[in-house]
Amino acid sequence: MEDRQLNSSDCAKDGGKCCGGGITPFLVGLVVSLIFGWWVFPDMMYSKKEQPIRFSHKVHMESAGMECKQCHVLREDGTFAGLPSTASCADCHSDVLGSDPEEARFVNEYVKTGKEVKWLVYQIQPDNVFFSHAAHSLDGCNQCHDFKESELCAQCHPDVANSDSAPTYFENKLTGYSKQTMKMWQCERCHANENHYGVTNSSNACFVCHK
Amino acid sequence: MALDRRGFLKFIGGATAGILATPVVWKSLDDVSIWTQNWSWIPRNIDGANSYVPTVSKLCPSAVGVKVRLVDGRPVRVLTNNDHPLGGGLSSIAAAEVQLLYSPSRMKRPLKRTADGAYVGITWEEAEAMLVEGLKKAKGGDKLAVISGDETGTINELFTALAAEMGSKSCFLMPGEAQSAAKAWELMGGEGQVGYDIEKSDYVLAIGANVLETWGPVIRNRHAFRVGRPHGEAPAVRFAYAGPVQNNTAATADTWLAIRPGTEAVLALGLANLLIKAGATSPAADFADFKALAAKFTPEQVAAQTGVDAKRLAAVAQELAKAKRPLVIAGSEIGQGGGAAPVLAGLALNALLGSMNREGGIRALPYARKVVPAAMDRKALLQNDLVAWLGKVASGKSAAPQAVVFYEANPVYALPQADAVKATLAKVPFKVAFTSFLDETAMACDLVLPVPMGLERFDDVDTPYGCGQVVYALAVPALAPLVDARPAGDVVIGVAKKLGADLGVAAFADALKAKAEARGASFTEPSATNAHVSNAVLPVNGIALRADVLSKAIDVKAPAFPVALAPVAKLNVGTSKTATPPFNTKTVRRWEIQGKELYVMMNGATAAKLGLRMHDRIELSNPAGKFTARVNLFEGVINDTVAVPAGHGHTAFDEFSKGKGENVMRLLAAGAEPGTGLSVWTSAGVNIAKA
Repeated sequence: MEDRQLNSSDCAKDGGKCCGGGITPFLVGLVVSLIFGWWVFPDMMYSKKEQPIRFSHKVHMESAGMECKQCHVLREDGTFAGLPSTASCADCHSDVLGSDPEEARFVNEYVKTGKEVKWLVYQIQPDNVFFSHAAHSLDGCNQCHDFKESELCAQCHPDVANSDSAPTYFENKLTGYSKQTMKMWQCERCHANENHYGVTNSSNACFVCHK
Repeated sequence: MALDRRGFLKFIGGATAGILATPVVWKSLDDVSIWTQNWSWIPRNIDGANSYVPTVSKLCPSAVGVKVRLVDGRPVRVLTNNDHPLGGGLSSIAAAEVQLLYSPSRMKRPLKRTADGAYVGITWEEAEAMLVEGLKKAKGGDKLAVISGDETGTINELFTALAAEMGSKSCFLMPGEAQSAAKAWELMGGEGQVGYDIEKSDYVLAIGANVLETWGPVIRNRHAFRVGRPHGEAPAVRFAYAGPVQNNTAATADTWLAIRPGTEAVLALGLANLLIKAGATSPAADFADFKALAAKFTPEQVAAQTGVDAKRLAAVAQELAKAKRPLVIAGSEIGQGGGAAPVLAGLALNALLGSMNREGGIRALPYARKVVPAAMDRKALLQNDLVAWLGKVASGKSAAPQAVVFYEANPVYALPQADAVKATLAKVPFKVAFTSFLDETAMACDLVLPVPMGLERFDDVDTPYGCGQVVYALAVPALAPLVDARPAGDVVIGVAKKLGADLGVAAFADALKAKAEARGASFTEPSATNAHVSNAVLPVNGIALRADVLSKAIDVKAPAFPVALAPVAKLNVGTSKTATPPFNTKTVRRWEIQGKELYVMMNGATAAKLGLRMHDRIELSNPAGKFTARVNLFEGVINDTVAVPAGHGHTAFDEFSKGKGENVMRLLAAGAEPGTGLSVWTSAGVNIAKA
């Protein structure tokens, strides 16, 4: 009891400024958590993965004059049909065409062995989310917009048309989904847009996407 | 500066405020909510490109032409194939074929029965050695019997050739409409297989034959029905149906004549009477006899026997007479056991209507020539009466064989007096089943050999009974077998070789190729996917109407029971080859099965007469057997008749079928049809008492 009283009296002497260091600890705590929350935490949440083969969309689009849909085929109902198979790549790359060692590796490790590349898919949705590309076609969107194909795709997908290597894949350690998987608010940019509603008949009702 | 307690709390306060201003809490909460959607027990979508394999279902009795959709090489769904001559729709059995690949009752490896009655898995080498040993003991003098559940496949040639090499002619098909028709057609002096050109007809009268559910190539029939009745336009074809229960065909037809069970031939003769009075005639040599017979079946007489009002009978006769291309199809409600008399009477009606070898009428289709030299041809195979043979073995009139080989056949479940069949087969020392499912017959065998399912093998379909044209179609595999199964054809060829017999073909694929060529099909490889259609017909001159046979056959007196039994078959419930596929259990109606209890249908008047009400538990019994069921009041059943759903009451297969309901075959006793000698078992009666 006495010690405490003594301390109390000391504190009183310097006008209370010594009590817990004033506002400084608060500010330190604030700054530390801000740094953690904004700079450290996001990296902690994801494990980084690279595609098994470095792939240049730029080369294919600029040099070979290809379009997205030549490789990224959809099913008739517009649902995702996966990524190009080794066989479809081998239509052109049955042998090494250029001098890129990654291409040579692709031909040797995959084309010649018939193995499929385990591409990492950036935007896989949970199974309870229904999405059809058929309803999001160039024909439909270009009634008002003036998108090129790659521009329309880039509204939702990573814009990789000009990249020489595929983006790093960030896998959420908790959910297992990619960082680039679209969130509901991103869907709602169009679905909850009053300008869209009534023109495209796109509804924002739950059951449109959640089956 | 030392951090005291208060300073620490301030730090925590600052950190908390800071954390709330970062994504840590909000992002984590969001991720947790997403994490909760990772349901491990829900099948994942399969990514990959679509591909389609056009094939024909070997499981569905209508041999429907389908397309199997594969994603990344894995089958996910069976779809319709409108380009296929046996396609244009989908049957509930074919639709379940992808699912059935993974059925728990599917055979995964060869099994042999051990001394204590248990089954143990063995290798194929052991199995084939056991098969060879078993067959060696059955050499010579009809000591081997073959029972096949495949009516249209070339596989039968290999099995019958093996039997022939062993000195046996005891080869049988599971009973079906084709046998009744073959008998009737043979009696009339017809050549080839009877075909019905429903597609080109403008008036189809189905007597007993459940054409839109179980008779003939059902999907082809349904397609013809749909094409002939375009939505919003005047129908180009009218359908009439005569039968005791308002089944799916009756419910869909323009006219339903409710007739008492077993009176199909009487109705046909009643119509013949009216048509002859209106001037119909036939060049048949015995027309005068037939006319005399038909004259006895006046509308009043027919009304008394069948229960059909004379005016309604006259109306149908008028419609038949007015139609440009009328067609009469007679058969059995459950696709078996109806006898040859109704078909004979039906064919005679067609003759009166001028529908022989005419567009939209009856066509005599040529059988394909044999491709395995020692084999029994289809015509001969259709003449062998399995039920009669089993009856002889049961009574000791014929010696029990040393060995029986079952190929995709389940007689222990699907034949009349199913319990007696099991007892009869118990006399056979060595029984082998080639099957994809561990069904009742497989459970009674000493050796069970798994065959690939229809989607996993090459096979063929040659002109299912009922088709109006020759149709030859190949089944091609959509995937490699998921289990350790071997194609039966190749096993038979190998076993024959070990027994010192050369069947004349090196592999089953060679037999298929030869059959395709025999049918004049343009493809040369069994991997070809197009179906072959031919308009070839045989002449139908000199057809006799066989009043002599009909007068005997029609004299059948129904057993003296208070209530007549009308079995009702539906494809979704399964066939004799397969039980109810798991997907289809939800299509079994509420008052068909409740829990494990079967519901049988009768109309209110019948129930009142018997003092019964809806849901009452009753016992149905006759000398063939008995079981309990509950009452479902349904006005679509003729008076004094109880309609019993077929296809239930399995004692094997899987949790979806085993022990659910009762097997109507237990109440059906087989007898010989007077005049034709064919086994019949659809005319049965039962006693009904409250249980």
